[in-house]
Amino acid sequence: MKSTAIIFFQLLIPLLMTTGCWNLKEPDQLAFVGGNGLDLTEDGKLEASALLVTPSGVGGGQSGGDKKGSFHVMNATGKNVSDALANMQTMISRVVFAGHRDIFLVGQKLAEKGMGDTIDPFMRSAQSDMRAMIYVVKNGRPKDVFSSKPFFDPFITTTLSDEQEAIGLKPYLAREFVVDVLSDGTQPLLPAVSLNPSKQYSYSGTAILNKDDGVKLVGFLDKKESTYALWIADRISSFILTTFVPEGDGNISLTIDTIGRRIKAKQIEERIQIDVHLIGEGAIIENNTNLDPSKREDLLLIQEKVNQKTKKSIEQLVKKVQEEYQMDIFGFGETVHQQYPRQWKKIKQNWPKTFPTVDVLVKVELQCNDSGLANSSLNRR
Amino acid sequence: MKLSETQLVWVIATTEIIAMIGLKITPTIQIAKQDAWLSMLVGGIIGLAITFLAVKLSMLHPHQTLVQYSQELLGKWLGRLIVLPFLLAWFILPAILLRSFADFIHLVLLNRTPVWLIILLFIGLMTYLTYSSGIMGIGRYCELVGPSIIITLFISFLLNVRNIKWHHILPIYFDSGEINILKGSIAPAFWFSGPFVLLVIISFIQSPKKVLAKSMLGVGITVFMVCSSTLMVLLVFGPNLAAKLKFSYFVSVRTIDILSFIQNADVFIMFIWVFGVIAQSSLYIFIACYETANCLKVKDWRKIIWFGIPMIFITAIVIPDETAITLFDKYWTAVVYPLCGILIPLFLLIISYFKKKERVKSI
Repeated sequence: MKSTAIIFFQLLIPLLMTTGCWNLKEPDQLAFVGGNGLDLTEDGKLEASALLVTPSGVGGGQSGGDKKGSFHVMNATGKNVSDALANMQTMISRVVFAGHRDIFLVGQKLAEKGMGDTIDPFMRSAQSDMRAMIYVVKNGRPKDVFSSKPFFDPFITTTLSDEQEAIGLKPYLAREFVVDVLSDGTQPLLPAVSLNPSKQYSYSGTAILNKDDGVKLVGFLDKKESTYALWIADRISSFILTTFVPEGDGNISLTIDTIGRRIKAKQIEERIQIDVHLIGEGAIIENNTNLDPSKREDLLLIQEKVNQKTKKSIEQLVKKVQEEYQMDIFGFGETVHQQYPRQWKKIKQNWPKTFPTVDVLVKVELQCNDSGLANSSLNRR
Repeated sequence: MKLSETQLVWVIATTEIIAMIGLKITPTIQIAKQDAWLSMLVGGIIGLAITFLAVKLSMLHPHQTLVQYSQELLGKWLGRLIVLPFLLAWFILPAILLRSFADFIHLVLLNRTPVWLIILLFIGLMTYLTYSSGIMGIGRYCELVGPSIIITLFISFLLNVRNIKWHHILPIYFDSGEINILKGSIAPAFWFSGPFVLLVIISFIQSPKKVLAKSMLGVGITVFMVCSSTLMVLLVFGPNLAAKLKFSYFVSVRTIDILSFIQNADVFIMFIWVFGVIAQSSLYIFIACYETANCLKVKDWRKIIWFGIPMIFITAIVIPDETAITLFDKYWTAVVYPLCGILIPLFLLIISYFKKKERVKSI
């Protein structure tokens, strides 16, 4: 009895030496995906693109000889995402491995038709990376963006994942996009990239999607509008603001890096009013006016004008979003939800219709607490 | 066989934390949305009450296990009949646990390894742990592994602080209301106190003075860790996404990314997950075999292992798919637990009190 037990346990010992052999997969059997793109072809089929990293083209350092390209772009069509990726696999001798994927790109054509059905595999697949970022490609196709050659990195996906932080946005990850799609009130606002004629990518604002209608593209905001919209949505950490000051007959530029926002919902006789209070502190980095920011009255004048102008642009943006797009990208619904949880249960169903009629009061409070290293403009007197 | 009081704390915590984090967070979020953590707290309080009941009952019968004192109280045959559902549950639970965990490992880690092999490896280890030293070995193992599980969980909380968005858990209470919060708390409540293992393992403790306090401490640690993990999942994903993720805590750890340098921390979660599952299944296997031996009056309980283990292995393989596990879970909350966890212990407790009074009277 005892000896059978001992023999049984001794049988387990070989396992100590063989761990890892069974499921072995060497890196040279894998094709690493840097980014995935989805779009529709001319005849309306779903097309998946992938940027595959060529390890021999990236590393190696001084090893001389002609370097192969550091990446390769593959395309395949299919019934859905996985079908397209399976078709792509038939053209590659290594197993496609998406565990290190940084970027998802969505082509404008697909976004216009609605990208709702393509979201599922991103969260379901066990390989899927929770840290990937997502962009809409404005006026273009994902495969063209993947094919463009960046300056600093061997391939575009690393560049795109650094881009948002470089321009002062808080990184917007694919999983946050899914959270927005599943939320009650907020409509997703995705950053967009486009290609210029010389085949270089550039950030080109944001895309508004309608989660209630198959995550369909509704419209784009330009860069400046996006900055304001993301400010209200608390998704920005710094930006540069240039305003014309008529009193000083010139432009003034501020770099704003302490940013905050407070949103309050009020209910006045069945009507909902949203108070948006935006605050920021920053330094003057360029002064083309006749004013001297080191003088108190001039500084106050500059602040007042900057606040007025910014407030006006933001009010215009809110109005445009309310009237033209009718999409609650700012998350006002979520504010009402949090501050009036009881009433929200009634409002919730009708929120898409209520949002355009909501009164929005904007208050902007920017402070220049630093006028830079000079006093008055170095050009004018 | 002996079990110290410190070991008792860790046995309770180790065997419950991992199973609850793995399997109970998402169902609770599906019911109570962003208030799931409140559900966990409420469930914890109910769980403590059930634990109190089990400990009180065991302390009335020092150094006796469930099977022994139920026979003493109800006679030979009725006493045996009443423990049958317990034995059945203790044999089925490890099978279900092994299968769902093996499926998970198969999905995430070893996708080319057949599931039966994963189960076999686990079963081998568990047999070793149970056969070699019974509850003593399990106690020592939990004493070692329990603290490391808690430390790893805490580190994963800290690393995930960057991904937290406080507005995900707002508004508190109003959305679900007390009914949904209570509804969500029932399933966790039935797990916090452990599947009636206390009715057996308390008998191994030499000096059962502080047993009540220690058991409460063990359950308290579990409630705290599970509640914080639920809170982390909610804060990272928000209720709507978290309700759709199967292993939401595991996935929330995969979101950790600090300066693109600290990533893939899910490996460590995998470690503690293996630890927890081994502790839990070994405990159930041990109790099942030990109590079966008591029931059949077999002197050497180790002999039962050689019948019990193959049975568990076969059950684990025979389970067709996940839906069967979900079905069992529903059955568990609706029938098995209320019966074995509350009704029968309560019944035995009342009888014990009466018998005690009679004894006092007759003296």
